[in-house]
Amino acid sequence: MRYLEDIKSKLYEGNKVAIQMLLLILGVYVFIMSQFNSIWKVPILFLGLLIWFFLRDKTKHPIIWLVFLALLLCDFWYSYFWVANHHFMITFVVLSVIAYMYHQHKGVLQKNIQIILVIVILTSIVQKLMSDQFTSGDFYYFMINKGVLFQFIMKFFPESLEVVHSNSESYLNLWETNPNDGQTIVFKNVTPNIGYVSLLFAKITIAFEFIVAIAILWKPKRAWVHILLVLMILGILITRLETAFMAMLASCGLFLCSNFKLKLSYVLIVLGCVTLMVTKLGYH
Amino acid sequence: MNDTIKRQLLNYTIPAFMVIVIIVQLFLVHTKQLSRWKGGGYGMYTEIHYSHNQIYIQDGISVDSLEKDMDIKEAFKLLRLMPNNNHLEKVAKLVLKKTQRDSIHMQIWKPKIDSKSGLYTRVLIDEVYLKNINP
Repeated sequence: MRYLEDIKSKLYEGNKVAIQMLLLILGVYVFIMSQFNSIWKVPILFLGLLIWFFLRDKTKHPIIWLVFLALLLCDFWYSYFWVANHHFMITFVVLSVIAYMYHQHKGVLQKNIQIILVIVILTSIVQKLMSDQFTSGDFYYFMINKGVLFQFIMKFFPESLEVVHSNSESYLNLWETNPNDGQTIVFKNVTPNIGYVSLLFAKITIAFEFIVAIAILWKPKRAWVHILLVLMILGILITRLETAFMAMLASCGLFLCSNFKLKLSYVLIVLGCVTLMVTKLGYH
Repeated sequence: MNDTIKRQLLNYTIPAFMVIVIIVQLFLVHTKQLSRWKGGGYGMYTEIHYSHNQIYIQDGISVDSLEKDMDIKEAFKLLRLMPNNNHLEKVAKLVLKKTQRDSIHMQIWKPKIDSKSGLYTRVLIDEVYLKNINP
């Protein structure tokens, strides 16, 4: 029971736990990304470590955070169109945390995180609504029949896996042909009515994300709002191991949440996702 | 500065930058055919990934063999990400220069799927025909 009390007191340390979780995600993400544009990252990292080692107790500036920010900005400079969407999100959250370290208004930090979270989810809905491929269910149909979504679940259904392999083979054979010949293929379905299921799934995705976004905007600290956010994160993780993005969403939830069980859920999601990122089983 | 204004600025400045990035991304999606997957617009998993966009060169030039050249590989990657006429022309010129050919006919195709029938087809986005003026 003492351990439980220790965990409880740890989780009730306000923004501290959320900032620690963010720092963990950031450290792993920056480490994985350090292989890209490494020539420019070496001086930033070396200089940053040097300043941190010798001056961290003599300066009020958050050296580590500033170094991480510089590394994130370096990727923007050289690979703006190639970095993932969560790279943008991490940068804005890191900017909010750095600003917080100067202004020290807990409420401002929470407002920043709340708005960032709402913008991310709402924009994702707008993009879905603007994509005919998504709203018609065609996108999910392609992704499921090609085995890109629900990979983990399909491992338990060998007949579905066979269909996926057959579709991938047909796809590769078509890729080798001249597109001007007008050849086509017909995808086999992993389950009956997958076309209808894809359409329904697309509509449910949009509706659920919309409810979560409005709920966070309206009542950002209520437990039921965080139950919805946790369900959304777990739902996305079941379809595909987008671990870095989900870890970011969970760490944002952690900033806003005050319920012990839900805070614990967020911490478990972040730690689980970070573990999968490090082992390269999940996406970074 | 008034405390209320200062507080509002602190609350909304960083999210405002985020909105600017999103507006730029949406603008590029609609004007330069940037894939929704990239550019900070949170449009991943809303359309088939841009890697399925197919570059095809007539007269039997293999795209795979051209991609052994790093410059061409990078140019092809960018063309798949933003398959617009400007990029297509630049890439065609680069291939023409590197391969020392007299002419080139390059096309970019995107995938199309119909969930009702399961039919997967490729649709021509754009094509360019260039002649080498300095053979």
